Amino acid sequence: MVPILIDGIVYGLQLSLLAVGITLIYGLGGVLNLAHGQFAVVAGVAAALLMGNGMGAAPASFLGVAAAGIFGLLIDRSLLVPAYRYRGEERLLLGLVLTLGLSFVIDGYLNLSHPNVSLTIRLPMPSLTVLGITIRSAAVVTSLLAILAFGLLFLFLRGTLLGKAIRSIIQNEVGAELCGISPSRTRTLIVALSGLLAGLAGVAQGLFSSLGTEMGVEFTILALIVAVVGGVRSINGTFVAGILLGVVNALASYYMGAYVTLIILLGAAMLTILIRPSGLLAYWT
Amino acid sequence: MARYATLLLVGVILALVPLTTGGSPYYSRITTLMLVLMVYAVAFNMLFGHTKQLFLCLGALAGSSAYLSVVLTRELGLSPWATIPLGILVAGFLGGLFSYVSVRRGLGVIFLGVVTLAFSLIFYNLVLGLRELTNGETGIVTQGLGAGILEGPRSSYYMLFALLMIALVLYSALMSSRVGVAFRALSDDELTAELAGIDVTRYKVIAATVGSLLMGAGGAFYAYYTGLISPALFSLISVDIVVLITLVFGGMGSLVGPVLGGAAVTVIDELVRPFGQLNVLVYGALLIVLFLAFRGGLVAVLRKTAKLPIP
Amino acid sequence: MSPRNDVVLAGERLTKYFGGSPALKDVSFRVEQGEILGLIGPNGAGKTTLLNVISGILTPSAGRVLFQDRDITGMRPHAIARLGVARVLQTPRPFLSMTVLENVEVGALFGGRDRRGKTSTAVDQAEFALRLMGLHDKRDHPVGSLNLQEKKMVELGRALAMGPEVTLIDEAMSGLNPAEIEDSMRLIQRVRDELKVTIVWVEHVMKAIMGAAERVMVLNYGQVIAGGSPGEVARDEGGSRGRTGSCPCSGT
Ligand SMILES: Nc1ncnc2c1ncn2[C@@H]1O[C@H](COP(=O)(O)OP(=O)(O)OP(=O)(O)O)[C@@H](O)[C@H]1O
Ligand SMILES: [Mg+2]
Repeated sequence: MVPILIDGIVYGLQLSLLAVGITLIYGLGGVLNLAHGQFAVVAGVAAALLMGNGMGAAPASFLGVAAAGIFGLLIDRSLLVPAYRYRGEERLLLGLVLTLGLSFVIDGYLNLSHPNVSLTIRLPMPSLTVLGITIRSAAVVTSLLAILAFGLLFLFLRGTLLGKAIRSIIQNEVGAELCGISPSRTRTLIVALSGLLAGLAGVAQGLFSSLGTEMGVEFTILALIVAVVGGVRSINGTFVAGILLGVVNALASYYMGAYVTLIILLGAAMLTILIRPSGLLAYWT
Repeated sequence: MARYATLLLVGVILALVPLTTGGSPYYSRITTLMLVLMVYAVAFNMLFGHTKQLFLCLGALAGSSAYLSVVLTRELGLSPWATIPLGILVAGFLGGLFSYVSVRRGLGVIFLGVVTLAFSLIFYNLVLGLRELTNGETGIVTQGLGAGILEGPRSSYYMLFALLMIALVLYSALMSSRVGVAFRALSDDELTAELAGIDVTRYKVIAATVGSLLMGAGGAFYAYYTGLISPALFSLISVDIVVLITLVFGGMGSLVGPVLGGAAVTVIDELVRPFGQLNVLVYGALLIVLFLAFRGGLVAVLRKTAKLPIP
Repeated sequence: MSPRNDVVLAGERLTKYFGGSPALKDVSFRVEQGEILGLIGPNGAGKTTLLNVISGILTPSAGRVLFQDRDITGMRPHAIARLGVARVLQTPRPFLSMTVLENVEVGALFGGRDRRGKTSTAVDQAEFALRLMGLHDKRDHPVGSLNLQEKKMVELGRALAMGPEVTLIDEAMSGLNPAEIEDSMRLIQRVRDELKVTIVWVEHVMKAIMGAAERVMVLNYGQVIAGGSPGEVARDEGGSRGRTGSCPCSGT
């Protein structure tokens, strides 16, 4: 039981890393990024290619994550520009279609050009034993990285003026102009940051098992579910929802099998939207 | 009037297609699949082209109908003639339900998109998970309906041709009635439409239900025609994306758009086929390019060059 | 003054909260058959909110709306419109893919209470409304090509083509010059006289309201602070500038 729970929590942290970017981009840019999982894959593939060329795992992973950030920046400044020209429903719609197209472009491209690339990172010590519980060292490293990343994110959002402005824009739909910050530059920053976080989740996948070029869709779906259950406008909600669904996922896959698990998670997302579109967890976060 | 004249022209041209393929089974199959795509696109035109409801579960709707009918027929020994209508009705009901809930709960584009996407994946995982009933990825072998219906290339082509014509006639009838006026009004401005006395919920649900019924019909016919159904035939990439591209390419909100788009996408598909997996990349790129630079579709181009008010 | 005293539309203690503060608080009113009721008040007073509550766009937090003695609170906008309460929005939102005539025709097609007994078609009704609005010669223009004032008239035309009992008009005149104001004022009076429509009219332009309305109601901070004939209200207004002045940020 305990190992399953630990697995669930660690997986949940990874899901939160993925999902928080969806929340940030949606809250600030009004675009639901359906290519978000592909950001994670970009990081993983970049790291794998670098490792294939003889680079060490740590620097390769670092550069891979950076690549996802840069990729996010480029997408914000190119593909999403036409969507930003519109407002409201029109922007949401165009953003949805453009990122859906992007996800297929990335998947198609990676499957064609790097069909057999996958990222697997082996740590020197496969597991540690703490208080009689054996934990995989991948879980420890992933948790530390995720906690560090979230710590920095919360420091930025709560401790800096820009961060506070971003938070109020996301939560209250206040116009960026009202907060006295440049909407387009802040947006670019946020999309790039979301790319970094997703990239981190991708590299973490390589620590656990392996990350292949075809995993983008799955990541996107999981991230969407988490973001929706957490309330697509709430960063705290997304964080909590990630961990919760990670645990649900671990328990359900252990006791009920993979298909049922995914159906449960998807059902949770659907129900959330139908019952409380602001997020199941929005109440107490 | 222009609507029915165009309809007649489309009917005549499509009726003559089998004569030009010279009995080649390969082309016969491609042209029949083209008709399925056109039916899907007519359905999606009601949903998205006229009432701006972006359903990301087109494949799942078609698949629900197809699997329901095939599985019930196989497991319970029922006649397909009984299970096909059932499958179609279930698809229509589901589509209508999604629409009703989303309008009444005020879900915007995003939430409707996520709900329908979640439904797509639930469908996909159900088919994979209920292996004893569906054979999982392997799929189920199907056959025609007997008496030459959906058996043999020519008969199948004309069955799907008939379905397409029914869809187009239904579409034209709706569009020339007050339903068509309501669609136009509410896709321009929902609040103004509501204040002018239009029951926006009702008309959106009508569009979604009729569209989903047609998706269901297309899915079921396809299932019995194609010989083997598997979840991959109803996935996001093989239905939703392709139908979205077809509709935008042909021209949203028009009668001939789905037909033109269906023809164009079939040709493109043939061009990419030799390159294996390239189609995913091409479709992704097409989706982006069409939405950014070709919003009016082929219909708009035709209208401009021919200076005709093509419906 | 209206010859009969039938109350056609009434609000009873209507209250509407957005978050913490009320945009409407205990607003009660009665509109008599055939009259023009002017509704005035500074920016943010709650005038549009009141019209939204009447048309069913918003549900009130408390209170009731009665139309011809029937409780219409919580009904959906299209149903209220069909019963005979038409609405003209503050900023025109016409059907942009349609011509002027088509825009008005939609009202005739969907809005009217069942008048299948009559021989007039939707097009006839639309053309009639357009003539009244003075837009008949532009009937085949795309509505997007009209100027703001003309668009407002299209919206009014659509409302009237529905054959309503009551029409709620939100600011028909902001941004007009004095001559145009005079024209619109006459127009609204003519509409009332010829179509026997009861009108609730929100307006900033005091002179127009004073010239055309039989009764005036003043809202401020979501509450009714004065009501009566234009003359009475104007006198009242002069004595209490501070209260109804147009600075919504001074707080209560
Ligand atoms: N949908 C809404 N959500 C939140 N607050 C609202 C909403 N609609 C109106 N308000 C608030 O309610 C108050 C009344 O607004 P309303 O639009 O009714 O005023 P008004 O009298 O029509 O003003 P104006 O003369 O500027 O048109 C304002 O403080 C406004 O900010
Ligand atoms: Mg107002």
